[in-house]
Amino acid sequence: MKRRQGWLFFIIFLLTLAIYLLINYPLQLGLDLKGGSQLTLQLIKEEGKVSKDELESVKAVLDKRVNNLGVSESNLQTLGRDQLILELPGEQNPLVASRVLGKTALLEFRIQKIGTTKELKRLQLQRFKINDLIEEYSLLEQNKIIDDFNNINSLLNDIQLTLNYSFKSQDLFSKLIETKLFINNEIANLFIKTELSGKDLINAGRRQEQTNNNWEVLLTFSNDGGEKFADITKSIAGSEQLLAIILDGESISEASVGGQFSNTGITGGLATISGNFSAEEARELEVQLKGGSLPLPIEIVETNTIGALLGSKNIIKSLYAAISGLIVVGIFMILNYRILGFVSVISLILYGFFNLALYSLIPVTLTLPGISGLILSIGMAVDANILIFERIREELKTGNTLIRSIDSGFQRANSSIIDGHITTFVSCFVLFLLGTNFVKGFAATLGIGVAISLFTSLNCSKTILKFLTTYPFLRERNLYLKKESFL
Amino acid sequence: MNFLNLNLIKNRKKVFSFSLFLISLSLVGILYSTFNTSYKMPINLGMDFIGGNELRIERVCENECSNISPDKVIENLNKVSNNKNLVNNIKLQFQNDYKLISIRTPYLKIEESNNLINNLETLIGPLNDDSKNTRLIGPKLGKKLLLNSATSLLVSLFAISLYITIRFDRKYAFFALLALFHDLFIVFGIFSWLGILLSIEVNSLFAVSLLTIAGYSVNDTVVIFDRIRENLKLKDIEYNETIQISVNESFRRTAFTSITTLIPLLTLILFGSYSLFWFSISLSLGIIIGSYSSILLAPSFLLKDNN
Repeated sequence: MKRRQGWLFFIIFLLTLAIYLLINYPLQLGLDLKGGSQLTLQLIKEEGKVSKDELESVKAVLDKRVNNLGVSESNLQTLGRDQLILELPGEQNPLVASRVLGKTALLEFRIQKIGTTKELKRLQLQRFKINDLIEEYSLLEQNKIIDDFNNINSLLNDIQLTLNYSFKSQDLFSKLIETKLFINNEIANLFIKTELSGKDLINAGRRQEQTNNNWEVLLTFSNDGGEKFADITKSIAGSEQLLAIILDGESISEASVGGQFSNTGITGGLATISGNFSAEEARELEVQLKGGSLPLPIEIVETNTIGALLGSKNIIKSLYAAISGLIVVGIFMILNYRILGFVSVISLILYGFFNLALYSLIPVTLTLPGISGLILSIGMAVDANILIFERIREELKTGNTLIRSIDSGFQRANSSIIDGHITTFVSCFVLFLLGTNFVKGFAATLGIGVAISLFTSLNCSKTILKFLTTYPFLRERNLYLKKESFL
Repeated sequence: MNFLNLNLIKNRKKVFSFSLFLISLSLVGILYSTFNTSYKMPINLGMDFIGGNELRIERVCENECSNISPDKVIENLNKVSNNKNLVNNIKLQFQNDYKLISIRTPYLKIEESNNLINNLETLIGPLNDDSKNTRLIGPKLGKKLLLNSATSLLVSLFAISLYITIRFDRKYAFFALLALFHDLFIVFGIFSWLGILLSIEVNSLFAVSLLTIAGYSVNDTVVIFDRIRENLKLKDIEYNETIQISVNESFRRTAFTSITTLIPLLTLILFGSYSLFWFSISLSLGIIIGSYSSILLAPSFLLKDNN
């Protein structure tokens, strides 16, 4: 008896601890419950596997970019060997993040090959035309005027003919962007690499150009980089060779270096890129340059966006489901097992508290599949009680005393309960190891639930039952055994 | 001892033919689905596995939302958008009295998906961004998820089999696993049929449900086999009779457990979020079939022929 009392106090202690934990460390909600976006980024490597170092260095660069974007409470994590997951809470648009993160942002400075001036001029003219078309297209699109696309289409076909280029995509806008990319690539090919690259930067900034509304991006080189920049500019100063700034193989700006720099080159370790940037584009480029280039290119393979309203609706729905499920199960148990059913209801409530407390302790981020795992594990927790109660009933029927029936009921149901829990636990374990993020939530809650239910349904139920049976009026036989069960 | 008394020995043949019937029906569904549908797969794979774009968003309406035919919307989208591949493969539905729009398209980039929403807004009026739910899954990731789900399923089936084989004699383990595969196959078959008849798709949660069903089904069978083993040791009754008694003794437990597990699932189906709807359905089906197979089918395997 003393030992049981000890257990009772222990359970009460645990319950207090659980409630304390839940009040002080609120549960972490997943995106599907609080709203927000989630991007899955896949590292791309042509040959071989992505190494741990590569994954970490990609993450470091992306971390910097995310921080510089000023997204509050965002969370970037690695997933498996070659994926990263970025979570953006609240109403942040994933569009900007996807644009900024998705680019490799490899910055190069190149010098023009001698004798390519004519070719460059030709390409620059085509680029000028295509930029015009893109601007026109955006204007039409904004105003929802559809009829005039034909005009753009025919102009684009002219450009295509001059370039001798064949389209890959089908819709007009993609064709425009694709052609622009092609021209910028062709331009970049007219230039030769130098030693100077994005690695030589120590900072980047942006400012509005004085003459028009466009923005330019400011670069600050390291000492070493500044020297390289001076050498390069010196070598082409006053000549017809241009200096190009290439981002991810695309030329974004070509500029000549004036003759006055032919003695020392451009010194001071500063440079500007003026490529007709909008305020937004300038900011994105600034963020990318500050973070440095990615050691491996990445691709955004999955995007989930859930509105805040939908998230809170999901919480309420799940709460309804969980609570009504618990109530109906409770009624079912009390109807069938009377006082034993009452015991199982109490241990179910304990079970709920312990589960939630453990979520906030570990912590487990609660998601929709996670909640379904929790709801499902209610069934599992009750199952153990049913196994035990059925045994107790049988023992009672064969004429055993109540106390002896309870003891042997718990004892004899043990092996089945443990078997059952282990098989479910095996499934959860595998799911957790191999599953995606989404699935992991389910596996975690179901697994934790299965483990806790072993404690609550074996230990807690027994303690509560023993406690109740110390009162003589609760030892009435017909409180445990109905004459006819309804099944 | 109860008014329900199962006579396994007498009904053994009926049980076998019923299971055989379900298995053949599932097999027909799976074969039909593999060869005679547009997707040519044993089951209609959803966008988790093949990639795509899913968008659900609510409209902002004064009182009632106006009726619009989905075809009309698609037709108008056609005029605004230039992406032929998108417009030709779009699926658009209105739900909840035209309040909720749900759209499926092939994989889109975030920009394109945003454009689509903007276009929709001009066509059918304001949309509530707070109620938005979009999912974009690239085809590469889809393949990875499919492979991933398949491996988790195989690995955990293997692990469960291993545990059962260590825990029981070979005979018991074999029949418990046979019952398990019977359950999984039938649930799979039902979803093949759902794919054929109602274009219901399966996503990664379906694979999760299969795994969970595996755990439950084995659990139920183990409880009954445990009882049979115990009784064979204790009671001095004829072998077949012992099995029958054991099944009847465990019957209440298995039925009650299934009921208490089905209740929360039912509340999930009724009140839960739509994304858990088919997951809860497949789990419920699995639990019903799992209880049937552990009460009736698995013990019937153990019966010996009297003739």
